[in-house]
Amino acid sequence: MNFKIRAAIKDDCKDISRMIMELAVYEKMSDQVKISHKELERDGFSSNPFFQCLVAEVPEENKSKEGHTVVGYALYFYTYSTWKGPSVYMEDLYVMPDFRGQGIGKSLMSQVAQVGKEKQCVRLQLAVLDWNTPSLDFYVSKGAQDLTASEGWHFLRFDGEALDELANEAPKD
Amino acid sequence: MANFILRKAESKDVSDILRLIKVSKVGDMVQHFVDLLEDGFGDHPFYHCFVAEVPKDQQSSEGYTVVGFAMYYFTYDPWIGKLLYLEDFYVMEEFRGFGIGSQILKVLSETAVKTRCSSMHFIVAENNTQSIDFYKRRGASDLSLEEGWRLFAIQKEELLKITAK
Repeated sequence: MNFKIRAAIKDDCKDISRMIMELAVYEKMSDQVKISHKELERDGFSSNPFFQCLVAEVPEENKSKEGHTVVGYALYFYTYSTWKGPSVYMEDLYVMPDFRGQGIGKSLMSQVAQVGKEKQCVRLQLAVLDWNTPSLDFYVSKGAQDLTASEGWHFLRFDGEALDELANEAPKD
Repeated sequence: MANFILRKAESKDVSDILRLIKVSKVGDMVQHFVDLLEDGFGDHPFYHCFVAEVPKDQQSSEGYTVVGFAMYYFTYDPWIGKLLYLEDFYVMEEFRGFGIGSQILKVLSETAVKTRCSSMHFIVAENNTQSIDFYKRRGASDLSLEEGWRLFAIQKEELLKITAK
């Protein structure tokens, strides 16, 4: 099947938002999705975007059962390590189930890696859920190392009430 | 001793920031001075930084007045939007226990809220129990334990193989 990988445009945000929800459902955390295509448009397509996005598109004649031609996406941004400098962080990689097994995921990731290479990034990082064996296998086959296993890294966060409480204690000057 | 200020880092602080990074890291491969300057204070900054500074009469045993720093940048969660990501956070040993670390964390949180971030994220090594306790006492949750997230990295060599295909 023919497909094309291209940079997302503002108009793609409705499709990207749809697929973000599909990925969240797969990860069993769809109740955690709080933003819509409107926030994606504002945050990804202004003069100071907070993320970059690639989409995979198929021709009209290969569209999905519901009529979609945008069938996959990769959302990424740049991070920084005090040890090594800029890195690419691939936040989301997703291909609709009916379009898997055709190299779309591989191509999306390859494009992200290419962008990273052009920006002199020293590595690509991502997070995977520990039960998500298909994804774990996919990334390990591409040379990814599990730093949680080998170095014990854990993701922590302050959000909601905890963040507000911390902020309210900040010195006012 | 309790006098210190927290302020936005300027390009003149880069040598102090590099010194603190080197002291805080056990390993090698620390950024060269020139890169830190360009990456933080060039046309397209990759990071933002706060430093903690004490008055000259309270300088460290080697004569330093910049005694702590925090490095952060903005990332994105497709479910909740903008995030503040805390990359590095360090206070010199002889200046600990005076609330500098706590104040840095509070200012970071205030920055997160002011800039419309839903959350502040970071990573900690599980054997760093001192830091984990510090964060948990202040309300942090461990997403790796609670939700099963694992951090993966693909290094440059392997990345080049992916781009070649």
